[in-house]
Amino acid sequence: MSPLSEVRFVAQRELRKSFRSAKGIVLLVLSLLGGTAVTLLLAWVQQLKREKLTNVTPEMMESAREDAMTQAFGDPATGKLLAHTPEVLLAVFFITIWLTPLLISLLGFDNVSGDMQHKSVRYWTLRTRRASYMVGKWLGLWTTVSAITLTMHAVIWVVCIARGEAPAGTAINWGLKLWIITLPISAVWCGISTLVSSIFKTPILSLLATFAVFFVLWVTFLIGLRFNVDALTYVYPNTYDGFLINARIDRTMIGLGACIGMTALYVGASSFLFTKRDL
Amino acid sequence: MGATDEAGLETASPGMNAGAPGQIESESEKKKSETPGMNAGAGGTSAGAGGVKAETKSDAPPMSNPYAKDAPAPTGEVFIAEGAKKRKKKPVEVAIRLTKVTKRFGVKTAVDGVSLKVRAGSVYGLIGPNGAGKTTTFSMMAGFLQPTEGVLEVLGYSPMQVDELRSRIGVLPQDALLPGADKVGEFLVHMARLQDIPSDACEEAARGVLAEVDGRDWWNVKCGSLSHGMAKRVQLAQALIGDPEVVLLDEPTAGLDPRVAYEVRQLIKSRKGRCTLIVSSHNLQELEEICDGAAILDRGRVVASGSMNELTASSEEIRIKLSPGPSPIPLVRDLPMVKRVEWDDERRELVVYFDRGQGVDAEQVIGAVLWVLLQNQARISAVSKGRGLEQRVMELTD
Repeated sequence: MSPLSEVRFVAQRELRKSFRSAKGIVLLVLSLLGGTAVTLLLAWVQQLKREKLTNVTPEMMESAREDAMTQAFGDPATGKLLAHTPEVLLAVFFITIWLTPLLISLLGFDNVSGDMQHKSVRYWTLRTRRASYMVGKWLGLWTTVSAITLTMHAVIWVVCIARGEAPAGTAINWGLKLWIITLPISAVWCGISTLVSSIFKTPILSLLATFAVFFVLWVTFLIGLRFNVDALTYVYPNTYDGFLINARIDRTMIGLGACIGMTALYVGASSFLFTKRDL
Repeated sequence: MGATDEAGLETASPGMNAGAPGQIESESEKKKSETPGMNAGAGGTSAGAGGVKAETKSDAPPMSNPYAKDAPAPTGEVFIAEGAKKRKKKPVEVAIRLTKVTKRFGVKTAVDGVSLKVRAGSVYGLIGPNGAGKTTTFSMMAGFLQPTEGVLEVLGYSPMQVDELRSRIGVLPQDALLPGADKVGEFLVHMARLQDIPSDACEEAARGVLAEVDGRDWWNVKCGSLSHGMAKRVQLAQALIGDPEVVLLDEPTAGLDPRVAYEVRQLIKSRKGRCTLIVSSHNLQELEEICDGAAILDRGRVVASGSMNELTASSEEIRIKLSPGPSPIPLVRDLPMVKRVEWDDERRELVVYFDRGQGVDAEQVIGAVLWVLLQNQARISAVSKGRGLEQRVMELTD
């Protein structure tokens, strides 16, 4: 059996397990409710803006957004591109990027540690290469997270279209694009979560350690920003949203490459450690 | 050190020659030197034809016990497990080989230089008190733990070579819980898939082993809802799925009620001859009943190993308990096949030692001794061959 088949079987089971578990269902429902609430809130803010700022034309609004985006991403082309994005979808994109680590830590903390706690992992390591098991676990988690965020985004597209925030084509086109941009970033977070989970045999310790690692990465990012040390900001996966959403293809590719590299590094490290350890 | 007994079990643990374990070795060595041709072959496993013929003149059943001293001389035929036939794998002579395997956990040495050879097709026991290193040895065989030193091979491969051993080895780990959220059926099908069983045959294979453990009705039951006995049987089912060539069973009947334990034992027995079975257990009666050979471990070392007959000395001594009344011990001592007699007046137990190398077997000695005793009005309350595995283990371990 090829390693790819092993990964597929492990990931399939992981998906089935996630969407059947109370934890998976609760997180899905919370994501949907949260997403809908945020959309409605943003739509209400939009409506308020339209009602209060009657003397501001849509062109002026778009120009102001373009300036803001250019300043945020340091690139006029990106500012111009994002100025046409439905505002609600863009806001949801950033919320997704910031909340995905929380979702991943809650979904993935017992990804491997749960199997190791009661040695259930032994049923798998007899039948799969340990590296395949680990990659399958990562893939299962990433697919689960991606499916949850897609469902959440889809609900938002529907709300967005129903409330007339954007035409259906624009909403779905931009919605899909923005959701796809979240994928490489969530892949890195899933890699980190899988690595931490594979180190601990007790799920609660794994959860605490995952939170701690995510927090340390965020603090490192803030230190990097505060003292203008770019290298420090690059360890934080969310840094790459600016690259991935960029209008310049070279920047996008750098962001994508960095995310793939970081994911490979974390999943590779967890596979290596898992292969070497006693179970 | 490093001696190889006739069962083909190399026992390299330091200190194993001291006391009782040494007796086994020295007895073996003695017989080797007495019987022409017995020492042929480096592994000491190829009993010479002369010696074997002399032994097989008795009515010893033509059994396939590869550890028995009266096992037929190798004729070039190698045991082929049912699973190996299906998978068209090259047969192997030695299913499991440990060479000076050591496992340390920090400063604690759990297994210390253990060497073992388990021949394909045998049922082999790992025996010892708590902390003897049974489960650690077992876990290394299954690839759960990696040895600190030494070499370990299962069917000629390192246990970590999953792709080579997939579906050829089945393991019942002692304390690995089944995934509680999975239904029994889907768990077994998933395991079957990972064993590379064709997808259209996975369900059939899973249902087959589930039926074998008498769990047909559990297909849709969640693993987390199973009782201890049911879970143990599902664990056993996953170990047997796909007809593996080597099956490792760690404490297969631990915590089971007598009825379920009996059924599990019957199931293990039914697998005899289809694959190589390694059973680790505290239940010595169980092991004595189902195993062909065994290794006794204590403090991480092999203190004795060999066939069950060798370990229990069942082919070298008989024990007779007498009720109060006449005890004609000198008459027994005068019997020609009797080498030595011990009489414990307090326990009223008679131990008769004989030399099986003279073409005499335990049954003949029992017959002759009982005849003498009955002729002299002795009242016999119990007769047994050998010491019993329990007594042997008590002698060898602290």
